[in-house]
Amino acid sequence: MSIYYYLAAFLFCLGLLGTIFKKDLISMLLCLELMMGGVALLFILFSKSTGFLDAQLMVIFTMIISACEVAIGLSLIIALYRKKQTIYTDDIKIITE
Amino acid sequence: MYLNYLASISRYIPELLLVVLMVGLILIETTYAEDDKNKRYIFITACVGLVVTFVSLVINLSGKSEAVFSNSIIIDPFSTVMKMIMVLGTLAAYYLSTFSKEIYETLKTEFIIMAVGILIGGMILASANNMLMIYIGIETLSIISYVMASLKKNDERSSEAGLKYALYGGISSGIMLFGMSHMFGVLGTIQFTGMAANIAKLNHTQILIMMPSFVLFFAGIGYKIAAVPFHMWSPDVYEGSPTPVTTFFAIVPKLAGISALVRVTMIFFETQSPLRVGWIGLMMVIAALTMTVGNVSAIGQKSVKRMLAYSSISHAGIMIAGLTMINEIGIRAIVFYAIIYVFMTLVAFYITSIMQDKYGNDHFERFQGLIYRYPFMAIVMSIVMFSLTGLPPLAGFVAKWNIINALLSAKFYTLAIVLVLNSVVSAYYYLKIVRLMTLKQPESHETIEEFSFINQFIIVAMTAPVIILGIFWESIMAFAGSAKIFIP
Repeated sequence: MSIYYYLAAFLFCLGLLGTIFKKDLISMLLCLELMMGGVALLFILFSKSTGFLDAQLMVIFTMIISACEVAIGLSLIIALYRKKQTIYTDDIKIITE
Repeated sequence: MYLNYLASISRYIPELLLVVLMVGLILIETTYAEDDKNKRYIFITACVGLVVTFVSLVINLSGKSEAVFSNSIIIDPFSTVMKMIMVLGTLAAYYLSTFSKEIYETLKTEFIIMAVGILIGGMILASANNMLMIYIGIETLSIISYVMASLKKNDERSSEAGLKYALYGGISSGIMLFGMSHMFGVLGTIQFTGMAANIAKLNHTQILIMMPSFVLFFAGIGYKIAAVPFHMWSPDVYEGSPTPVTTFFAIVPKLAGISALVRVTMIFFETQSPLRVGWIGLMMVIAALTMTVGNVSAIGQKSVKRMLAYSSISHAGIMIAGLTMINEIGIRAIVFYAIIYVFMTLVAFYITSIMQDKYGNDHFERFQGLIYRYPFMAIVMSIVMFSLTGLPPLAGFVAKWNIINALLSAKFYTLAIVLVLNSVVSAYYYLKIVRLMTLKQPESHETIEEFSFINQFIIVAMTAPVIILGIFWESIMAFAGSAKIFIP
């Protein structure tokens, strides 16, 4: 049990840090998926340890919705790439602080 | 069991009507899109659909409160009133989009289709009674919002706004799920029914796990409300999106998030527990921070739309402040505030949108001397700005006074003082617009083209409640008081 918990938490933290610190958008989306994977693993783990099946429902919905989110994110990246010819976050800051 | 589901559907008609409306609009759009003359079918269908939804919500209001669909959705007066406000906001934002020049003609139909989709998400969120429904509601709201924020396809700023929104949204929903998974690990259920009793039974270690989980759980909802640690997306998205979209974002997702937060608070923390104390402390800190950061950041802005974005952050902070006492008086104050907030925000954004269409940008200088060139617009804008500040004869004062009253009745003096001081800060930037409009000479003497009688009528109709409810507010107050939360 505990080793899986650490694995899931590690995946989540890796995804979170990656999404925050990565500089190109595709890697950010990949890290987002990693984060969701970690959370899904956590839900399965807790479902196993508590013996209730509700959390497995959450896993299925998490997978579906994170897939939708990445699809939308990718299409937005493509829309931006057509205009700026870049996917690096440093180059596409247009809205001023 | 199956009959139960059928009986549930009879209480779920408003949402189903919206689903039918969305599908119908897509069908009409694909069938008639080639001919511009047929655009009016879409306009009529959308308006009729939203009005019918509103009427069915009014009918729902009189029914008894109950939990439907195996306790996953709650239909009670509170959620119904919040949904009614959201439908009104959508209708007004849609009307703004029909004459705004910022959305291309070909995309105007897509705006209403997506707006209805977001409204469905908001309705799910407003009456969600388990973690899964909260997650689905937030994501339905978010995923369509990402597309809507980047509606101006040829504008880089709009695309950037949408992308920023998507990335922030992904991170915060991931964090929320992380919190939810730990809550499930401790409680063993995703249902909110009977949650207060479960929480009362927790031991010391479990409470230690629950506290950070709640903070993480708040990240997801706080992101939708734009509460302060999670507010960074809000000004950029509000500035980058077309103004009708901004208007819509300032109303529907924000109020949906507030109502979900109110429900979670009322269900989880109705009984005394260490978690309740922690949650009240968290809410007080978040409310104070949200108000202060929103108001202080709004001071230095050049663009009126960005200023309104920060001001809407601070208004969300005031609504969260009404949550800290966790009782009926606070909820009543929040509902009243939400009703007034919608009218004030709508008028402010309407005027800003008209100025933006005229000049191509919405910087403060464009408002100089507006009273000499277009007195009607200047007077309406001044009234709304005074109301947003919270000056006495107007509705904004009553709304703010109710929140402060609720805070004082619970003896939260510090938060009340912070709220009052923030009103003073907000006076600076709201009254700056009034000063520019009335005391400065106009930049040029070209007149603004007249807008049609119906537009003037609608703006007056939305300003009237701001004035009238400032004096005759008892009936609306009683209406807000009748919006009780049902805890199964």
